[in-house]
Amino acid sequence: MTPSSSIDTAGAAPHDEHHDHHPSYLVDGTTIKSWLLTVDHKRIGLMFLFFILLFFLVGGIFALLIRVELLTPGATIMDAMTYNRTFTLHGLVMIFLFMIPAIPAVFGNFMLPLMLGAKDVAFPRLNLASLYIYLTGAVFMLWGMLNGGLDTGWTFYTPYSTHTTTTVAPVMFGAFIIGFSSIATGINFIVTCHTMRAPGITWFKMPLFVWAIYATSCIQVLATPVIGLLTVLVAVENLFSFGMFDPARGGDPVLFQHLFWFYSHPAVYIMVLPAFGVMSEVVSTYSRKNIFGYRAVAYSSLGIAFVGFFAWGHHMFVSGQSTFDAGVFGVLTMLVGVFTAIKVFNWVGTVYKGAVDFKTPFAYFCGFLFFTVFGGMTGIALGTVSLDVAWHDTYFVVAHFHFIMVGATIMAFLAALHYWFPKMFGKTYHEGWGLVSAALIILGFNATFIPQFLLGNNGMPRRYYDYPERFQALNVASTAGASLLAFGFIIIAMYLTYALLYGKAAGKNPWRSKGYEWMSEAPPPTHNFVGPQPTFPEEPHFYVDPKKAEVPDAV
Amino acid sequence: MQSSAHTADGAENLPRLAGHFASLEVQNHAARLGMWLFLATEILLFAGLFVCYGCYRFLYPEAWAAGSRSLDLTMGTVNTIVLITSSLTAALAVHYAKEGENKKVGVMFALTLLMAVGFLVIKYFEYAHKFHIGTLPGRYYHYEGIQVTGIPLYFTVYFCSTALHAFHVVIGMAVLSVAMVRAFRKKDFGPKNYTMVELGSMYWHLVDLVWIFLFPMLYLV
Amino acid sequence: MAIANESHQEEKNMDAHHGAGRYWLIWGVLLVLTVVTVVTGRMHLPSFGLLLALVIATVKGTLVTLYFMHLAEHRGANRLVFGVSILFVVLMLVIPMADLGTRFRGANPPGSQYSDLQPADIGTGTQRGRFGGGVRQTETKDTPETPAPHH
Repeated sequence: MTPSSSIDTAGAAPHDEHHDHHPSYLVDGTTIKSWLLTVDHKRIGLMFLFFILLFFLVGGIFALLIRVELLTPGATIMDAMTYNRTFTLHGLVMIFLFMIPAIPAVFGNFMLPLMLGAKDVAFPRLNLASLYIYLTGAVFMLWGMLNGGLDTGWTFYTPYSTHTTTTVAPVMFGAFIIGFSSIATGINFIVTCHTMRAPGITWFKMPLFVWAIYATSCIQVLATPVIGLLTVLVAVENLFSFGMFDPARGGDPVLFQHLFWFYSHPAVYIMVLPAFGVMSEVVSTYSRKNIFGYRAVAYSSLGIAFVGFFAWGHHMFVSGQSTFDAGVFGVLTMLVGVFTAIKVFNWVGTVYKGAVDFKTPFAYFCGFLFFTVFGGMTGIALGTVSLDVAWHDTYFVVAHFHFIMVGATIMAFLAALHYWFPKMFGKTYHEGWGLVSAALIILGFNATFIPQFLLGNNGMPRRYYDYPERFQALNVASTAGASLLAFGFIIIAMYLTYALLYGKAAGKNPWRSKGYEWMSEAPPPTHNFVGPQPTFPEEPHFYVDPKKAEVPDAV
Repeated sequence: MQSSAHTADGAENLPRLAGHFASLEVQNHAARLGMWLFLATEILLFAGLFVCYGCYRFLYPEAWAAGSRSLDLTMGTVNTIVLITSSLTAALAVHYAKEGENKKVGVMFALTLLMAVGFLVIKYFEYAHKFHIGTLPGRYYHYEGIQVTGIPLYFTVYFCSTALHAFHVVIGMAVLSVAMVRAFRKKDFGPKNYTMVELGSMYWHLVDLVWIFLFPMLYLV
Repeated sequence: MAIANESHQEEKNMDAHHGAGRYWLIWGVLLVLTVVTVVTGRMHLPSFGLLLALVIATVKGTLVTLYFMHLAEHRGANRLVFGVSILFVVLMLVIPMADLGTRFRGANPPGSQYSDLQPADIGTGTQRGRFGGGVRQTETKDTPETPAPHH
């Protein structure tokens, strides 16, 4: 009758090799319709994974085009207008289509109910709708980008965005639609955390990934409507010249920036908080130790989500914002650093005296730690008003946000992909290639963005098409690094595809993780658990008795 | 985990329990919490326009005073009363749904919808008047009667916020129509099965709530 | 079984059934408050008119949320959600307004109360005029049409 009614008929197995064997969600229904109309959170997560990787590829290709263009001063492969459109497309695709949904919609969707011992998220149909809303928005956005393109940068600042002749309206409308997808996911996860926890999982026995996703969802629900309204206002403004943010008609473009960053600054935490959550899982699994300071890590997720709303003005230090507001925002920005530092110290404390199993996800954890600390510290520097005046809109900012936002998110995305690959597909990947590509990606990322820190510090502005000769050496270095990065991704794509097709069966819990999600089969059956709802007597991340300071023996 | 779809049998109608919920209580709790979260997003959606209102009022107090005085206070007041009363009938619908009086639920929603239409008609006359005299947003402003700096911006805010609100009225009407039809046709609302009525009427109260703030902001001060 | 308790408590509160009289009472209060706000609004009270109107609106809004939307009977998360959203609305209002009030005057939109600059003239005669099509430029009379000659 309704899609969710399929839940009621648990395990209507098409394959009955064994009568008591419940088929995994991957083979329970093999028609295309059974995928496209599924309400199973795991299948929806996988479909999200597919599209998100697709858009990551699109965004990545445009990143490479930008880097190739900047290889030499002046025109290299495209004209200036194409360049403007390219970096706008890169930003929009990477932010709205890749990074915001990346971890919550894929791994959040897949793991959250498993980690809570639930059969599904609270609103399965809403979950499916969120996928299709996302795709609709993506189609609008890309259609607009291809038919004329947008040249405002992903920030679409007024008054330029209301006057440009490029296709503002469809792209804005696409972003507006994608916002609904984000909101739907957020509402779903919050309600799931509140109502779907299995017996035994109290609030402070939720895995830390769940805490991070919960905090992320709070941001999504509270911040996204504002950008939704704003995209509509900008589109209307562009079409009809209502003058809401047009200084020539009495409007205040800085007010636009206030509203824009009210969403877009917390959006940074939408991208990075799930990454923090993934890393809390990974670090404890591969250190074979209980997470150090569980409550501190959980509370600091909520703390970042809350304080993240009080820091938006640090994007506007040179936009004409008052000195009073700038000072207030400068101070409040430091608070985010405090909460992030709490997490970093706790992760390091978890590794300390642990029996580290240096697998691919742990390699990504190391890269993540470096990018978070380095990116975070440059962020503290940029949050200082006097320093920001010099660095604003230079490549220093570009390098900073790629380190903290992209670096941390990509590291966590890849760590999660490797860590949960056996869980999601029941196959193992080649560990050696995993480590090689991790090394390439971490090196390539540094090689791409450390030159950009230097470029920015030397005064090269961001988003510029042309630059003087003296910046060329560093630009070439950055492009070389980007190629290395791309190479690393190609290797990953190859061995993961191979593993998907020919990989060895992974077994139920190849990492011997104590995470709740590993309690069910790998890959899990359609309703996650066979038989009655499981109970969870132990703490999450429980490896050793906390009274004993050290791990008894190495792995 | 068994679905309990008693529709016609027995005096007590129970909603269908989706398989992934532990119990009906949990399912209702989830639905309600989800609705509150959704309403929070609606509040923040309107908040963006309230911020525009606040800032521009701060910058152009004279234009705001002149603009609000040019609106038709009688129509605004009547609309407020209409909307508050429609909220009352929506609340009464929940009350009757809990008692299982499906016919009254349907009638209450029908009254609500009637008043919603009335609201939109009055709004239409207000808009038509503004189009006629030219108190329009941005560059379309051509009213000779008020010539103050920032006055077109007042009408930008006025039209954006009332249009967004009217759009929500229309969505709310769609939601309530579904509930009304169900109350008349299926007649299965009862003390254990009124979540749909409750959530629909919550949405309607939100529309009312927004108007409660928009009315004094735009028409009075 | 904290969850079940939470859900159970809410269910119990929602089950507590009141007569319809309460809704009529709230409706009456809302109508009275509407009349009060209209009457006081028409007086155009100089300084606290806005404050009064907002206080009345807040009271009305509170009544609607507490009784029509049954927030009075809800506990925990539902209240928290509503409270937090209101908190962020206030935050979003206060900070940009504080910005406008304390900003360097030259950075405020020209022609506004907090700016010393005259509104820019982008061609009043046309439909694309500064104030829209048909607004006369009354306040820019005293600005020189041509730039002042040097020395």
